[in-house]
Amino acid sequence: MSDSVAGRTTTEAAEREASGDDGGGGNGISRRAALASTVGLTTATSGCVRQLRSIVNRDDIDPLSLTITTLPADGDRESIRLAREIAAALEAAGIDTSIEMRSNEEFLRSVLINHDYDVYVGQHPGGTDPDFLYEALHSLYADERGWQNPFGFTNLLVDDLLESQRDVDGEQRREAVTSLLEALTVEQPFVPICTPIEHRLVRDDRFDGWDDGHLATRTGYLGLEPQTDGSGEQLRAVHMDARPSQNLNPINAEYRDRGTIADLLYDSLATDVVDIDGAHELEPWLAEDWVWDEGDDEAETEDQSSLTVELRPDCRFHDGEPLTADDVAFTYRFLADTALGGSATPAPAPRYRGQVAAIDDVEATDDRTLEFTVATGEEVAARALTVPILPEHVWTERAAAASVPGYRVAQGTTDAVVTDNVPPIGSGPFQFGDRTEREHVTLERFEDHFTSRDDVDLPEATVEELRVQIDPRSTSAIQLIEDDSADLTSSTLENYVIADIEETEDVRLLESPSWTFYHLGFNARKAPFGNPRFRQCVAQLIDKSWVVDEVFHGHADPIATPVAGEWVPEELAWDGADPELPFLGSDGDVDVDAARTAFEAAGFRYDGDGNLRVRH
Amino acid sequence: MLTEVLTQVALVVAIMLLVSIPLFIGRERLTRLRTDWQSRLRTSAPAMLILSVVLLFNRVMRQDDPDIGVHMTETIRGLEGEFILIFQQIGSTELTMYFSFIYVYGYTFLLIFPAVAYFALSDTRMFRRLLTSYTLNYAIGLTLYALVIAYGPRNFMPEVETVLYNASPEYQHLTREVNRNTNVFPSLHTSLAATVGLFAYHTRSSYPKWYLVATVLAVSVIISTMYLGLHWATDVVAGLALAAFCVAASDRIVGRWSLSAIYTDLRSLRERRADRSDGADGDP
Repeated sequence: MSDSVAGRTTTEAAEREASGDDGGGGNGISRRAALASTVGLTTATSGCVRQLRSIVNRDDIDPLSLTITTLPADGDRESIRLAREIAAALEAAGIDTSIEMRSNEEFLRSVLINHDYDVYVGQHPGGTDPDFLYEALHSLYADERGWQNPFGFTNLLVDDLLESQRDVDGEQRREAVTSLLEALTVEQPFVPICTPIEHRLVRDDRFDGWDDGHLATRTGYLGLEPQTDGSGEQLRAVHMDARPSQNLNPINAEYRDRGTIADLLYDSLATDVVDIDGAHELEPWLAEDWVWDEGDDEAETEDQSSLTVELRPDCRFHDGEPLTADDVAFTYRFLADTALGGSATPAPAPRYRGQVAAIDDVEATDDRTLEFTVATGEEVAARALTVPILPEHVWTERAAAASVPGYRVAQGTTDAVVTDNVPPIGSGPFQFGDRTEREHVTLERFEDHFTSRDDVDLPEATVEELRVQIDPRSTSAIQLIEDDSADLTSSTLENYVIADIEETEDVRLLESPSWTFYHLGFNARKAPFGNPRFRQCVAQLIDKSWVVDEVFHGHADPIATPVAGEWVPEELAWDGADPELPFLGSDGDVDVDAARTAFEAAGFRYDGDGNLRVRH
Repeated sequence: MLTEVLTQVALVVAIMLLVSIPLFIGRERLTRLRTDWQSRLRTSAPAMLILSVVLLFNRVMRQDDPDIGVHMTETIRGLEGEFILIFQQIGSTELTMYFSFIYVYGYTFLLIFPAVAYFALSDTRMFRRLLTSYTLNYAIGLTLYALVIAYGPRNFMPEVETVLYNASPEYQHLTREVNRNTNVFPSLHTSLAATVGLFAYHTRSSYPKWYLVATVLAVSVIISTMYLGLHWATDVVAGLALAAFCVAASDRIVGRWSLSAIYTDLRSLRERRADRSDGADGDP
């Protein structure tokens, strides 16, 4: 159409000019006529180009292709299998999907530190209390490194809900948590898939007391009762992850999962005592006691309260230096900014971010007493007392920026977050003995620990030595237990071996609940993963019940919400299917039409070949 | 557990050698070896020395190779898809046992025996070529390991039943000791087995029976890498190419620079100089 209009304009102009200039002689087309026709031509062409430009310059929406980052089977057998099932479901829905495998520390570095991923599949350390969601999802942390908001998820309404569950206690808090969980079910910043059931193998003939403490926590390794004369000499654990033999830094993100071994080396003011059935209670540990005093201090604003903590007397670090209130105050300052003010911007630790943020101020009033000003309710603030206490004399110098000659190191990378911290100097019930990378790490009982005092009624280290042997596979770990070469598997057994385990008089399989969960994390910094409608559709492509049977051999519970059992609101409890976002299909097979309809209803388009086209 | 597995491998391979040495090499060559071994050792010393240096380097590198490479698992999968699953269709307990045995014991034997056999030949050229080929295989393989980061099929599809470590978990102690799980491309099991196979073909007139045995063993080793879920077909193809290159290159390299010739040259030079100085001394 544009061509014909332009053509006519040019011709008319030329004709008009030609007729008007007739008297000027018949020697062809005059200058004016030629000029005019050129102008006409230009006008016409420019219209054409403008239109052409508006046609050509409309970017096409490309077919979506995404990469799932996950661990190889050597790192986490369930993760890679989950990732493959999810990849198959996404492919069925018309999304081109590839899988990248990374070793444990590389995986965590990509996801937590560099945020270099599209979506990932892995295990989240979770928490016995739902407040872990605050650090995991608050938008203020979207640019920080570590377990604080690796998703880049930003939603002001969710921020409000995350904050309000922190401010209240008791029944009110339960309601606030429920509102938060409901909002997250809609938003799906990550898709919670299932909570594993933890299995460990132990020998009953050398030690008793396995049923007291959860073996993912520090108290699981304390208070064990030696059953023979020799067994008090050494507790032999088999660990399937080599990282504790390579790095013992309690604040490093890449080498820690739940940090159980680090918790044996470092004390915290309070400890979450979790029993084998998952029941848990926060108890004083390094702190002898703590007292709340609300509002009597004039300097405090309305929503602040203060907490006085009294340390146990005469505690020492493993190097003999006394542990004082100054070390504790230092720890909280240091975790909030590992550069201690020496960097252009604060460099918060990649772990414990949520706990430390609950503390507004901390002051050592004398050698054993601390005054905490807290900005949250009592329940959340008390959890802030579970961070590892670091010796000031060791960590002060680690506030320096890490440097490698010839490399530009990322801002905020202090020595503290990257050091392997060997030998670790803590104050915990065990001290570092020896290690060989990828073979073992051996801890020795710390004789001066307060738990061994007569007037302290807490479980203590009952063995001279805890040798954590590294053995990367469940099958050979089981063999070690059966051959009486080990007393327990400190990591959880892989699910595929559980059915074949034969319990005997001496060898017993322990089953305990977990507060970790498998999930699909979205990088909301990248389109289309920032779109909650897209995330909802993807959530409906995962048949959680089916993967629990298929991938986890039934040794897991499918979940709709990522918190520990006691916190799951009734309406979000699993009832044979996901209560909010049920699977679109059956028996693991995606119903392609239903998936397509869901994506289209969410505003996405398909091309003729069935590929999902998404602006990204 | 590592020591147990190592002892077992040493024992089994020793028995295999004890049986095969008289069987394939023959008494005549062994008798001659008893008188000649010193001079043969002398001519082969440089090749042996270089191989030991590379093996030492290999040991350090395989544990802690610098991750300067590119992640390629997805590229390899894109290339071949689920090809290696065809070996699962013929999978059976007996085959898994056979290939597990071949992968650990058969392979070790396959690498050691030809070294003995070629040392027993009066011409050490084959022996030196074999060692040179081993050296090249390791040197090039290690470089590729550093450049290409990839996980094998067992890490991607751990549920596959015939995966070596599912069937025989004890062997992981052995392989973990000598390797990292991202050292997949190329398959050195394939390239070294194929190297031995090619040499066996070259020496079939000297060792006709070994030629047959080596062929069967080499092919079994190559299939075992895929059957047991340790390597992708791409790794195997790269391994075969590497073997062909190393065998051809060894032909060009061996004998090009003769240390003994250099040594003789140097000695004659020194002797001449000594003669001259002797003469000078003799002068009044």
